[in-house]
Amino acid sequence: MNGLRHSLTLRLALVFALLAFVSLTLLGVALYRDLERELIHRDDAALITRIDQLRTFLNDSNTLELIKSKPALFQNMMGNREALLTITPPGGKPLLVVNPGNLPLPSLAPVPMDHKLGLSDVQHYPGVDGVPFSAVAANIDSGDMGALQVVTGRLMTERTALLASYRLNVYLFASVAAVLLALSGYWLVHRGLLPVRRLARHAHGIDVGNLGERLDSHGAPQELLPMIDAFNAMLDRLGRGFAQLSQVSTDMAHELRTPINNLLGETQVALQQDRSLDAYQQLLASNVEELERLARMLDSMLFLARTDPSSALKQRQQLDAADEMQRMADYFEGPAADVGIHIQACGSGVIWAEPMLLRRALANLCANAIKYGAPDSELLIDATPCAEGIRLSVRNHGPTIPAEHLPRLFERFYRVDQSRERSANSNGLGLSIVATIMQLHNGTCSANSLDGLTSFELVFPARRQGE
Amino acid sequence: MNILVVEDEPKAGNYLLNGLQELGYCVTLARDGADGLHQALEHDFDVIVLDVMMPKMDGWEVLRRLRKEADTPVLFLTARDDIADRIKGLELGADDYLIKPFSFAELVARLRTLTRRGPTREEEQLHVDDLQIDVLKRRITRAGVRITLTNKEFALLHLFATHQGEVLSRSMIASRVWDMNFDSDTNVVDVAVRRLRLKIDDPFQLKLIHSVRGIGYRFDTQP
Repeated sequence: MNGLRHSLTLRLALVFALLAFVSLTLLGVALYRDLERELIHRDDAALITRIDQLRTFLNDSNTLELIKSKPALFQNMMGNREALLTITPPGGKPLLVVNPGNLPLPSLAPVPMDHKLGLSDVQHYPGVDGVPFSAVAANIDSGDMGALQVVTGRLMTERTALLASYRLNVYLFASVAAVLLALSGYWLVHRGLLPVRRLARHAHGIDVGNLGERLDSHGAPQELLPMIDAFNAMLDRLGRGFAQLSQVSTDMAHELRTPINNLLGETQVALQQDRSLDAYQQLLASNVEELERLARMLDSMLFLARTDPSSALKQRQQLDAADEMQRMADYFEGPAADVGIHIQACGSGVIWAEPMLLRRALANLCANAIKYGAPDSELLIDATPCAEGIRLSVRNHGPTIPAEHLPRLFERFYRVDQSRERSANSNGLGLSIVATIMQLHNGTCSANSLDGLTSFELVFPARRQGE
Repeated sequence: MNILVVEDEPKAGNYLLNGLQELGYCVTLARDGADGLHQALEHDFDVIVLDVMMPKMDGWEVLRRLRKEADTPVLFLTARDDIADRIKGLELGADDYLIKPFSFAELVARLRTLTRRGPTREEEQLHVDDLQIDVLKRRITRAGVRITLTNKEFALLHLFATHQGEVLSRSMIASRVWDMNFDSDTNVVDVAVRRLRLKIDDPFQLKLIHSVRGIGYRFDTQP
């Protein structure tokens, strides 16, 4: 049963067989009915012909004498055990009874003498052992003996046998044809699925090492082309994702080098000779700094690797935009004031977001804005309701980011200035975390930089019904 | 305070034992789950620090069996940063958790919170040396001099004053003062502390805010 459900070939072969058997059998049955009708017609006509012959025959008085004297002759003339013939004079005992098969005598109303016999005068009986029996009775004028009543009949053994053999043949042919069609169907489908097996073999050979390889659509049947295209498109996406992932791993390994190198070097140098207590304390404090940096990077990487958005989405709340903007302004007030930046927060509406993730995204944008903002300028944090939901923007004055960098800013470890010394406060993941947070919220993020004004925008979709 | 530490990793066990003992706590170290459970049931501890990833009997199993007989506060340590794991721990009856790597100061602060019995009554007046804080009126004077603080500076000072003598980590300060529950790459806390120092420490002889190298800050009359 399982094989039946899973093998297309077997299933189609069986369907072929069933259809062939049913259609051939139906055809056979129709032809059989036709034949049966023809045969009955023929047999009935034969009985009528016999009566007609007897009508001519019994007119002759010599014949009657012959019947009386030599009934055996007639019995032999009738030939076989299926035939029945009785000739009875009016009101007397039968003149002749030919009934070798001891068939039951039917009581029939005889057809009058002046009436021409037709097929409808033949009576059909269920007969003996399922073999039908037909009979016809007629009055015959025999001259001196008056009107003789003649009954002639026939047990249709031959016809029954013929029809039975015909039936058997119909089933036999239908079965043989079904088997033949099943076999050829199986073979055809098997052959038709060859391209699928070829594709499967090819797909089997594609691994991380040869992700660039694509399934060959050359020579494949038209029906398979959409599947091949879809599969190749999937390989494209996977290939891109895989390349990005390995790039991230490489970048991360490189990023880890700096703090680990610092830890290793500083500690080894410190152990070279005996030092003052203060020097040891300084070393350990420096180690803690580097380790905290590693821990933060680890935290960020794990955050970015998080693929399940449902847990974040479940904790979304309706947050007052003005409150959140003010919170950011309060949080960064100190660091901003240090570099003479004044933060101006304004906004209205509600943000449908997970609070910690929203704050993390905004904090990353604000930290960047303060880091790269021009001294003694203004940093504007703003929330405006829009068609999709709410648009949050962080705008600072400062050096314009060249346009070619803008689309790549949200990539992991991407830095506008590759030669910039990697500070302890930046691990190149801040904006990619923002992008991930927006992705988790089904929102969008974008960057813009023109004429000394750089702005980052986040769009959070509004709460939908049922959320 | 009696603390049971259940940790199979030798280095981690040792530093937790030493660190907590140096702070004056009475610490018992169990190096596997079975021993930890046995100790926890035999003795009376104020709080239990439980590592989740242990061979044979893991932390969850220890917690499950412990909760059948005792309700000692449990803080579990996990290296897995997924929400399902945390929820599982809290459902099993743990009281708090920390994700590795965590800062030692953070652990100590959490243990103090767990063992603080009863709800803490909010003090209306706080006195630290010659510093006076009127919490309700948000008025601060030191040596009779009135000091004006911004809202966040006041919140920071209040946090310090209510945790006198404790080392507060930067992430804990960020979380309590600004409700920012993540380690950020910014120096917001340092800047805020520096500004607070300008107002309440710099003009005076006795310094109250002390930096603890590599960890955070401590608010104390003792240097």
